Amino acid sequence: MAGKMVLSEDEALELVAFLITAARTQVDEAAEYGSMRLLTAAGRLAELIAERVSPETRTFLTGPLRQIPDLAVHTADPARYVAALDGVCRALGEHLVTHFGLDRKES
Amino acid sequence: MTNPVLEAIRTRRMARALTGEPLARAELEAVLKAARAAPSAGNRRLHRFIAVQAPLTLKLLRMVSPGMFQRPSAIVVICIDRAKAESFGMRPNAKGLFVDVGTAAQTMLLAAHSLGLGAGVVTSFSQAAVSAVLNVPEGLSPEMFVCLGRPAPTQPPGMPTRGRVTWESLTQWERFPSAPHV
Repeated sequence: MAGKMVLSEDEALELVAFLITAARTQVDEAAEYGSMRLLTAAGRLAELIAERVSPETRTFLTGPLRQIPDLAVHTADPARYVAALDGVCRALGEHLVTHFGLDRKES
Repeated sequence: MTNPVLEAIRTRRMARALTGEPLARAELEAVLKAARAAPSAGNRRLHRFIAVQAPLTLKLLRMVSPGMFQRPSAIVVICIDRAKAESFGMRPNAKGLFVDVGTAAQTMLLAAHSLGLGAGVVTSFSQAAVSAVLNVPEGLSPEMFVCLGRPAPTQPPGMPTRGRVTWESLTQWERFPSAPHV
């Protein structure tokens, strides 16, 4: 049941380690890596939970979230990068509405 | 104009997808032996290499390396021997120290490529965390990883290019022209 889904300690530690060390490396690195690291973290969390979530959430995690290449950065093509991120955010927003039943509560 | 060395330089790519198949110890030693032949400022040899093949150690290094997309079968950590550099009167940020990290890395990348291995460099890691994982002694600073493995048949897209880059666009022949007088 997705409501009881938890990460194992090893999985959670892996993600915590990534986030902490990314906070440190980002101090020395190009600003454009900030978005990339956040997306990498989201992608790694998605990989860890993909088999344990609802089919609808899995569709989001393995679909729209994977549309942006691992090494995409905004300086190469700022408009395209922002458009791609907006596309993911839009798909996320739509999934959140459905997942939490906001559309059903309004009707 | 071409020859096997130029062809190797031309065809080498950063490998960001590796199969996870182990490397033979002899292959890793061949890469390390090549690194020994890399140019070194003043022939001072102020670098040390840490070769890692143990799966759990590799896993922990990846955990503290946000820039590591691949899952390598081996990692060579290039360290600067700060104590030895200081004994030569070198400042901590002397450029030669970091230039030599690059020459060692490129030499290993080419050696790996010549052996049919996939290789890629990573600098996005926490030096403090890596030092703790590897029990790196005081005086050595880990600066760069050379990640090694068998290249996966399909590689993810690399870093995007920013405009067309050619050797000509990177090169200025002789002197830069003087600024026009106003």
